[in-house]
Amino acid sequence: MASVQSYTFGCIILHVLTYQLFYLSAQSRMDRGHCCVKLSVKPSRGLMDEKFIVLVQNVPPGFQLTIHALHKCEDGHSWEAFAHYTANAAGTVNVSEDPSLGGTFSGVEQMGLLWSLRPVPGSKPALRMRKENVQTPMEVAISGYQGHQTEGFTDQVQLAGTVVERWYMAPGVRRVPITEGGLTATLFLPPGPGPFPGLLDLWGGGGKLVEYRAALLASHGFASLALDYLTPKITIETGKMVDNSYFETAYRVLEQHPQILGSRIAMLGLSFGTSITLKMAVYSKVMKLRCAVSISGSHVQPIHGSVEQMLNAFNENASKIRINEENQVICRDLTLPIPTEPALKVDVGRLQCPLLLVVGEDDQNWAAYEAAMDIKDMMERAGNSHLLTILSYPNAGHLIEPPYTPHVRASAYRSVNTHEKIVALWGGETVAHSRAQEDAWRKTLVFLREHLYGGRNPGATSLSHL
Amino acid sequence: MLRVHMSVTAIRQLIGVKTVQCASVCRSVACLHRAGGGVRWKSSYKQAPLLTATPVRGLIDEQISIKGRFLRPHCPVTVCAQMHSEDGDLWEAFAHYNTKADGTIDLTRDHSVGGTYLGCEPMGLFWGLQPAPGAREGLRLRKKNVETPFVVLMSLLEGHVSPSEGQSTELAAVTTERWYMAPGVRRIDIRQDGLVGTLFLPPGPGPFPAMLDLWGMGGGLVEYRSALFASRGYASLSLAYIGHKELPGPQNKLNVDDLYFKSAYHFLQDHDQVCGDRVGIIGLSFGVFLTLRLATQSGLKPSCVICINGPIGSTISLPGGRSVSFEERNSKYWTYNDQGHVSFKDISLPANISPESKVKLEFLASPLMCIVGEDDLSTSNIENADVIEETLRNVGKSHLLTRLSYPGAGHLIEPPYTPNSRASLWSVKPKKLITLWGGQLAPHAAAQEDAWKKILDFMESHLRQ
Repeated sequence: MASVQSYTFGCIILHVLTYQLFYLSAQSRMDRGHCCVKLSVKPSRGLMDEKFIVLVQNVPPGFQLTIHALHKCEDGHSWEAFAHYTANAAGTVNVSEDPSLGGTFSGVEQMGLLWSLRPVPGSKPALRMRKENVQTPMEVAISGYQGHQTEGFTDQVQLAGTVVERWYMAPGVRRVPITEGGLTATLFLPPGPGPFPGLLDLWGGGGKLVEYRAALLASHGFASLALDYLTPKITIETGKMVDNSYFETAYRVLEQHPQILGSRIAMLGLSFGTSITLKMAVYSKVMKLRCAVSISGSHVQPIHGSVEQMLNAFNENASKIRINEENQVICRDLTLPIPTEPALKVDVGRLQCPLLLVVGEDDQNWAAYEAAMDIKDMMERAGNSHLLTILSYPNAGHLIEPPYTPHVRASAYRSVNTHEKIVALWGGETVAHSRAQEDAWRKTLVFLREHLYGGRNPGATSLSHL
Repeated sequence: MLRVHMSVTAIRQLIGVKTVQCASVCRSVACLHRAGGGVRWKSSYKQAPLLTATPVRGLIDEQISIKGRFLRPHCPVTVCAQMHSEDGDLWEAFAHYNTKADGTIDLTRDHSVGGTYLGCEPMGLFWGLQPAPGAREGLRLRKKNVETPFVVLMSLLEGHVSPSEGQSTELAAVTTERWYMAPGVRRIDIRQDGLVGTLFLPPGPGPFPAMLDLWGMGGGLVEYRSALFASRGYASLSLAYIGHKELPGPQNKLNVDDLYFKSAYHFLQDHDQVCGDRVGIIGLSFGVFLTLRLATQSGLKPSCVICINGPIGSTISLPGGRSVSFEERNSKYWTYNDQGHVSFKDISLPANISPESKVKLEFLASPLMCIVGEDDLSTSNIENADVIEETLRNVGKSHLLTRLSYPGAGHLIEPPYTPNSRASLWSVKPKKLITLWGGQLAPHAAAQEDAWKKILDFMESHLRQ
């Protein structure tokens, strides 16, 4: 009995010693092998909407590792993401294949290190990440740390680190500021002689000239014009908002450009940009759109109204705006209930080009989902619903943007018509929202390619495969 | 002969249309015309032709996958690459392919049947770049500013054409960038302790294994190989030793001595971002002599030594004595071909090398990789490599030597996927002189690709394990 006990005891000691030796040798291998751990990201220079593979090699099998992403914005704020991994028997961690055990995301998430980025502790509240200068890449430092860390990354010694560049402009894309016709706009031309299909790119009520989506679209072969229609130079100087002819001027700039095909121009709008897009698509005598994309918006508006009148209509309904316990402003009720009166919503039954609607079901800023349902209803009754495709995403919020940038549920916002700084609630749950962005972007590109590059008669293409 | 590929719908639309000409048929099936004339897309049914390159921004030593899609099946096409060097010269390459039944070409899979190269050569459009017709004589493609990429325009043309012929229909295009520095690599000017060099550090916390990077008698400060090493995780110091205005003395003479090179090696060893016990040396051409001298003479023990196409001794002594110019000492060994191009090969024949300058290879204690191009017209690399091999064998150190020999490769075995120059301008004064490097286009390219891979593996096993 005693001998068995001592034998068992001996085994235990042996196991403990072996474990300690393994741990020590792993440790010394790590110390010496500071030169050995390899961390790579492929591609190291990619487009913003391109996937990458983060790979760590030459760590001991079973090693606990934290992979950390750090990005410093143009405005000086830092954003970070991190995930916990355990190296496999070959001593590697592959973020596109291995599950994160915790951090700012969990599970197998190839691009989680980008979409789960959040402001570092101590940052100003209500931040949002948006690239202003699209001619330089977004640089993200990706590092590996020993163990499963959750904070204090800047104080720790990295095992390895690298930098990845994320570009909005593909090589050869040209950025051309446009001021003709009183416009405040930027045209992005794909590389090559063309000709290219064109696209008018509109953002929402925050105004300003936002270029990054147009730059990306040009990287995918669409000559895209980012248009500032709420705070253009002409409005700043005269105090007057633009009227509908401003958009028609922008359309003409595209139509008449020697490298753009006048018969293949699309319009894409987000938020208030959707209001403009739908209005122009149905009512403009000048704009002959090949197709339209409307993201997170509504057809509810005074149909004969100018931009100013449309904004005033919101002001009149200001009592419908709600504020939650965190002091975040919820605007979605402004366009509810969906009116039945024809003068109060764009008559989408008269639409003659394919329309892609993208809505987040948790949109707290616009009642986009409800609008999409009403649009569908109107088009079915009018007999043109074959033109309509709806992409509706549960738990996605308002800001459905190109993929792999961080989701924020709320952020500081100053609308051009209220001028007050608020924190707007956009909505969305991060994982679902990020998946929605990836899916919506891919399908938007397919939609645009089909209608702008395909040769069939507009509207004839079935999009059931989307 | 109408070769438009039409859908059933389109054909139905055409029934009832009587005598039609090619152009109007194209119009009625929604063809697209390039502004200024020239039909660009003939097929109405499919998407427009697309040319893709992946990655579109890559490192110089990274393979690019080039594909064409939405083309007509079984049709001749030409893929073309064009770029401007920093000096403004146009370089180009092209290859002829036939599309597959699915209307695609894939340069990693398909065979070129004409043009700059033949056969399956995924990177042929890069290593095959040649000065465009009408270019200046004696050009060599070398990047001076390694912080910006080479921008190469790839285009897909209809038919089997050559780009300089002019009128050919462009079906699609894509612009690629070829970088020497990976994101996060740091470039640092080094002007201390009399050294003239550039240090490249990889991204990350360090410390890193390191390389001392030496080039040949062409002089100056050549950064691109070091930049690539740093992109692969090695700190690397490019060192100038001749032909640089910040070095002492006349630029056409060698005015630095052994101490200069030792100093560079120690600079790396002592640098806080370098693992002092993991430093190697690489040399090309005259740089081989300097490399072997450091490795055998000075009590240094580099972790690895890499020598490409160079001599084990020199006709020029390191001062010490009266420093003379390359030309003064060596012109008696120069030979000329029919075009008046000069070959320096005989300078480094073991018989012509001064015995006192010959490196004491028996003192080598580091693993040595010796690379020779068998068509090297600039150095007697094979003869020198033979001496290295024999000497090491005689002292029982053969295990240290790895010898790589490449038929058809010339003197300038450089990082891969860059074009070789068989000859290039050596000097303009006192008269214009073009020197021969050797190397046949395709074998040299293959040598560069294989050698680079083996160099990196060699560095990995001796600097990282």
